[in-house]
Amino acid sequence: MPHSPELRRQIEDLALRLVVEDSDDGRPASVWIPALEQIRDSALREQAGPVSAAATAILDEINAAGEPDDETGRVAGVLQEGFTRLQQALDLEPQPVAVPDLQISQDPELLSDFILESREHLAAIEAQVLTIERDPKDAEALNSVFRGFHTIKGLAGFLELWEVQKLAHEVETVLDLARNSQLTITPAATDVILQGADYLRRWVTHLDLTLQKQPSAAPPRDEPLLVRIHALAAGRPASEPAPAGLAVMAAAVETPPAEEAPASPAAPARAARRNDSATRSETMAVKVDTAKLDYLVDMAGEMVIAESLVRHDAELGALKSQKLQRKIAQLTRITAELQKTAMAMRLVPIGPLFRRMARLVRDLSRQFGKRVEMETQGDQIELDRNIVEELADPLMHMVRNALDHGLEPPEERQAHGKNPTARLLLKAQHQAGQVVIEISDDGRGLNRERIQSKAIERGLIAAGDGLADTEIYNLIFLPGFTTAAEVTNVSGRGVGMDVVRRHIEKLRGRIEIRSTPGSGSTFLLKLPLTLAIIDGLVVGVGEERYIVPLFAVREMFRPAPETIWTVQQRDEMALVRGSLMPVLRLYRRFRVAPRSEDPLQSVLVVAEVEGQRFCILVDELIGKQEVVIKTLGEMFRNVAGVAGGAILGDGRVGLILDLDRLFKEKSADAAH
Amino acid sequence: MSSIMLSMNEPAAASQTDPRAGKYLTFQLANEEFGIRVLKVREIMGLQEITAVPQTPAHVKGVINLRGKVVPVIDLRLKFGMATAEYTQRTCIIVTQVQGESASVLMGIIVDGVSEVLNLTAAEIEDTPDFGEAVAGQYLLGMAKVKGKVKILLDIDRVLSTQDLHNLNAIVH
Repeated sequence: MPHSPELRRQIEDLALRLVVEDSDDGRPASVWIPALEQIRDSALREQAGPVSAAATAILDEINAAGEPDDETGRVAGVLQEGFTRLQQALDLEPQPVAVPDLQISQDPELLSDFILESREHLAAIEAQVLTIERDPKDAEALNSVFRGFHTIKGLAGFLELWEVQKLAHEVETVLDLARNSQLTITPAATDVILQGADYLRRWVTHLDLTLQKQPSAAPPRDEPLLVRIHALAAGRPASEPAPAGLAVMAAAVETPPAEEAPASPAAPARAARRNDSATRSETMAVKVDTAKLDYLVDMAGEMVIAESLVRHDAELGALKSQKLQRKIAQLTRITAELQKTAMAMRLVPIGPLFRRMARLVRDLSRQFGKRVEMETQGDQIELDRNIVEELADPLMHMVRNALDHGLEPPEERQAHGKNPTARLLLKAQHQAGQVVIEISDDGRGLNRERIQSKAIERGLIAAGDGLADTEIYNLIFLPGFTTAAEVTNVSGRGVGMDVVRRHIEKLRGRIEIRSTPGSGSTFLLKLPLTLAIIDGLVVGVGEERYIVPLFAVREMFRPAPETIWTVQQRDEMALVRGSLMPVLRLYRRFRVAPRSEDPLQSVLVVAEVEGQRFCILVDELIGKQEVVIKTLGEMFRNVAGVAGGAILGDGRVGLILDLDRLFKEKSADAAH
Repeated sequence: MSSIMLSMNEPAAASQTDPRAGKYLTFQLANEEFGIRVLKVREIMGLQEITAVPQTPAHVKGVINLRGKVVPVIDLRLKFGMATAEYTQRTCIIVTQVQGESASVLMGIIVDGVSEVLNLTAAEIEDTPDFGEAVAGQYLLGMAKVKGKVKILLDIDRVLSTQDLHNLNAIVH
């Protein structure tokens, strides 16, 4: 592609001036700067890399050359030499330059809108393409995909994102033919369409990174892909996907009754009941900036506290006015309702996340030559949006593992009398104040012997340790562990499961494994309902206030003299209902002054961590409170024993205890 | 004491020659007057109840509740190694917005008292003299001479850099 005449003209003008005007006449080199800048900008617009680079180089040298009164001769030399390079660059083919495309598009706000909308359209496109794959005649789905690409094309054109517009247009053409019954969508065609969507997604990611001022290269035009799309539109069959014959798509099937909710990132979606033809339900939803949402939640929390202060105010109570009390009661009800609603806004359904897995399963099943049918249950279960975001990676990794290692190829399954099509289940449900996410497959199950021998080989356990099945299975969570005979490019690098577990633990959750050799494996992710709120037991030590997460508290009592024992003159134990458990004096651990050091004047709180119990010694119990967890920030990252902060009923900040950490330290101490 | 919220839409005073020129909030610590850029100041408030956080260096006083946000508070006297002093009626917390490791964060600093907002021109600002290794020169943007008095201009991002705090936390253990 030749450079534009405009660019040539600018360079030639500059050349003429250099020749005609004598640069030795003492004028500062800076007079050349405007012209050079103009050349540089034109070159950037045309993506003429070498020319812009040359122009920039000259500009740099001029700026470095210093004041006009010294060495103008040198400046002239710089200009001449630089100019030669400019001309050479002009003769080269222009190469695309990794320049932030914000030079092409204008408004950051328009761009971020585009990014958000495109992502939504692309998610919808993906879901609907999978529907089309199952039923190529589904008019509704065809229309929906067409509209998706059409809209993206329009938006891209408006923002002068030519590459995006071009590709969207090409795919839109194919879809238009399809929805007018002039073209049948074969599995090969869906591949191409999905590749088109992927290309667009890469562009959106690039734009997002650029918007965040992070380095990113614009995706180059994918000529082979465009050729394939053209071929589809022209009615020539696209090349067969490999491996042919074994390729079966993964179906996302929902068991009734299920309410399907659209993938709206922030606002709650009250979905209409889904009808049988799986049309996307129309919902009223608003997009809300998550920062505003968080602010609202913070303010609602503050309001609860302010209201509580009013309610408990001594002076108001002394007035003994019935009417006032009724009004305050009303205020209390409304405040509580407001806070509940604000918190609920952070919840999003898990369905869209499961649907993302459907695409992955489809692609991987083709890649590995396995037949898989994916089923989801509990799509409507809602989780805090932060949790859903954090779950994406671990979930993807476990799905990959299942498809790579867990599931057998169809022949092997048949040989074992199993259905050649394997089954993968993703299920979400509420259970005792937690959300449990289940990933089950009916594949090979975990191989106990292989795991055990690998662990022995790596010195993680000793032979003949006599570990139970669950303990052996849990070994896969150790860093660097993999029993995969060969490391495929998808999984088996052994970085997976320990990272997965860390992700889950970061969400204050747990993973459990259940497996039966030959029948399959189930991974259970147990997560708290929301990252943000816990029920807390507020305790006091001296002037300080701490919060003990209530789910871990088993009992609390004032110890009698016979309860506390000292072991080896150092560790203290408490005898509670016949069991001995370690005692942690909180004032000692945090080095604060207690009201009393005498256990008989204090309270013991029995807490349970991972099935083991220990006692925490505090001055007094203040009360129970539902608290919103606030992180303390980077500064306090290394403070052990404190998991976060929370605003207490009187407006003070209370520190939330990290029971896991405190218990581990106590055990480590006792071990010496 | 009431809190004062400063409008953050003020552009820095234009000065082609010195980027340090502009508006500064000045405050006192011991006998010294310091200044920080007004753009970094979010709020000024009276001393309120601070929740101490265990295992932190002495100058990290703890955290406070700022309208639902938990904000760390630092005693600047202790941070600079000055003697501690009793908190008085004048003692304030200046809530600043500084560049943390990954994002901008709010941090409060305890000062003896707040003075005024000065509009400093380039002519009034000088570079910090080289005191040698003893003084942490990298915390200072420069010195300002106004009405015969010298104010020390702080680079508050550096002063409150969490990296130092991490290192200090590690040493404390």
